[in-house]
Amino acid sequence: MMPRPLVRIAAMANKEMRHILRDPQMLAFALVMPVGLLLLFGVAVSFDIEHIPMVVVDQDHSQSSRKLADSFTVSNTFNVVAHRGDPDDAEPLFRSGAARVALVIPRGYEASVLHGPEAVAQLLIDGADNTSASVALGYANAVALSSSQRAFVELLGDATPPLEARPRTFFNPELRSAVFLVPGLMVMVLVMVAVMLTALTVAREYERGSMEQLFATPVGRLEIILGKLGPYFAIGQVQVLMVLTLGVWVFDVPMRGSVALVFLVASVFLFAMLMQGLFISVVTRNQMLAGQIAAVSTFLPALLLSGFIFPVESMPWVLQVIARILPARYLVRALRAVMLRGADFETVLPDIGAMFLFFVFLLVVATKRFKRTVA
Amino acid sequence: MMPTVVEVQELTKRYGSFTAVDRVSFEVGRGEIFGYLGANGAGKSTTIKMLCGLAAPTSGRASVAGADIAREPERVKRSIGYMSQRFSLYLDLTVEENLRFFAGAYGLGGARRDRRVQAALELAGLTDRRGTLTSALPGGVRQRLALGSALLHEPPIVFLDEPTAGVDPEARRGFWRVIRDLASQGTTVFVTTHHLDEAEHCGRVGLMVDGKLVALDTPGGLKATHVPGALYAVELADSRKMRHELANWPGVVEVEPFGPRLHVRVQGELEDDGRLEHELKHHGHNDAVVSRVEPTLEDVFLALVGTGRQSKGAA
Repeated sequence: MMPRPLVRIAAMANKEMRHILRDPQMLAFALVMPVGLLLLFGVAVSFDIEHIPMVVVDQDHSQSSRKLADSFTVSNTFNVVAHRGDPDDAEPLFRSGAARVALVIPRGYEASVLHGPEAVAQLLIDGADNTSASVALGYANAVALSSSQRAFVELLGDATPPLEARPRTFFNPELRSAVFLVPGLMVMVLVMVAVMLTALTVAREYERGSMEQLFATPVGRLEIILGKLGPYFAIGQVQVLMVLTLGVWVFDVPMRGSVALVFLVASVFLFAMLMQGLFISVVTRNQMLAGQIAAVSTFLPALLLSGFIFPVESMPWVLQVIARILPARYLVRALRAVMLRGADFETVLPDIGAMFLFFVFLLVVATKRFKRTVA
Repeated sequence: MMPTVVEVQELTKRYGSFTAVDRVSFEVGRGEIFGYLGANGAGKSTTIKMLCGLAAPTSGRASVAGADIAREPERVKRSIGYMSQRFSLYLDLTVEENLRFFAGAYGLGGARRDRRVQAALELAGLTDRRGTLTSALPGGVRQRLALGSALLHEPPIVFLDEPTAGVDPEARRGFWRVIRDLASQGTTVFVTTHHLDEAEHCGRVGLMVDGKLVALDTPGGLKATHVPGALYAVELADSRKMRHELANWPGVVEVEPFGPRLHVRVQGELEDDGRLEHELKHHGHNDAVVSRVEPTLEDVFLALVGTGRQSKGAA
């Protein structure tokens, strides 16, 4: 026979699970949203700049000019959308946004390449979109550099350049943003569902009067909180599994560390977030208010202060201090460490510890604030 | 004398400057049906909440089933069943799920839980509707389910706060049958109501007015004390005029219009059978039809509330 506190916690958890299963909207919110968010961020939000529309104005019509134009189009970075004979004809394409970059190769380009003094081609860049502008600029410099190098090599015969940079990027060699985003996305999925759903659950009991009935039974405050944590924790685990599966199979995110460690890290984070939701619920006792506070206190911090998109290290110190308190940042850091770098338990222990502290702190405060009286 | 189950001394609850319950004292014995009567806001629910450990008293003390409500609310909660004024079962759960949940909340497990859930289903008359969503049940049935749920752990005492509010008369009669059965098996029932007719079922009735317990006795005792004499219903052609005339007759204590008739309360010689009718006819009211009526708790209530107001006016 189970000890009574366990019987009571189990009864709470069982009841809560049935509420969730009876509420298709809540279930849909919990299970469809992770997939939607993952697809949204994984596919639509990409920091990989590709297919920048380019217009080519080739006035030289020579072999060299075609080679120069080709060197821009060999990769997927640029897409030639039009050819024009006159730079003035390119401008309307700029204005309409049909092209972001124009490559202008003036008459006499080949002659300069072959006989000097220096070959000049012009790259016009639309600076309104600063990301693609800087990518285009960097690319143009690289093309110019490598073309010059090639020219030198042809001139000097079999020689190697004196200095060559050969950078190697570890863990995400192609610098694909999905690899970087998916572990961070876990934080978005977990905070929204975990905090939102639990924020509503205690407030709902107050609103429909069932809390009074619960308080008249021997069920303790901690038992109510633990019983309510259970089912939402289970849902959170399903979400972790969904995000991982989609991330690894659809977006080719590597899983270099242990899957069990990923679940452990995510579980500690989940506990922290479920507790944040319960805390909000206990304090507000009102579903509307709890929902709003839950949304504000999770979405923006998880998006902006977790390091999910913007590195925490480059933030002003005030934001860095806030980020240091939030479990979101530790989750993102630990997940990236385990999934991308194959980090072991000891490496992420500080992150786990920080999230656990947050959980325990809120558990104590929420239990204290949770009065078992109705008047 | 029955052993005492609830003992209340000078119990007081204040919210700021408002005194919801004002130095209330009483005792309830084992197996008693104790009715707590009063208008809305008279302090009935607040008293129950304090006795159930849901609200802390401002002053005074009380014990329920031997446990002090302020110092040992957890022990109180183990020995009581509570049915709140607001219907508080979960509407999105089925009948059986609700019962199984509350059984678990009381710490019942295994075979005892199954047995008690079955007993509650039988009490509510829902053995063949255990899979029905609670939201689909009519009000009266829900109340019986809530009662069954409050009795799952076989508490020695149940507190029922307005259990029959919004329930049709037929269902109310059934509900009271269950309450009487419970009491006869030794369960103490503490019930609030504002249906004065229901209070007749109670062993003793306490009457709350503005937070004070103004009367406490058996229904019969209350009537004898507060509505002494005999009560007659009088049917007259000109009842409105006669109301004032009758009030001045010696031996007439009170005249109240009651529908088209007058309720006349008399003491002394007029109490004798036929005497009032004889006197009326003697005074030329040959059409007068007089019949004896039993005083109700409503008369008690009116008498008490009336004197309450009078004494206030005098002070």
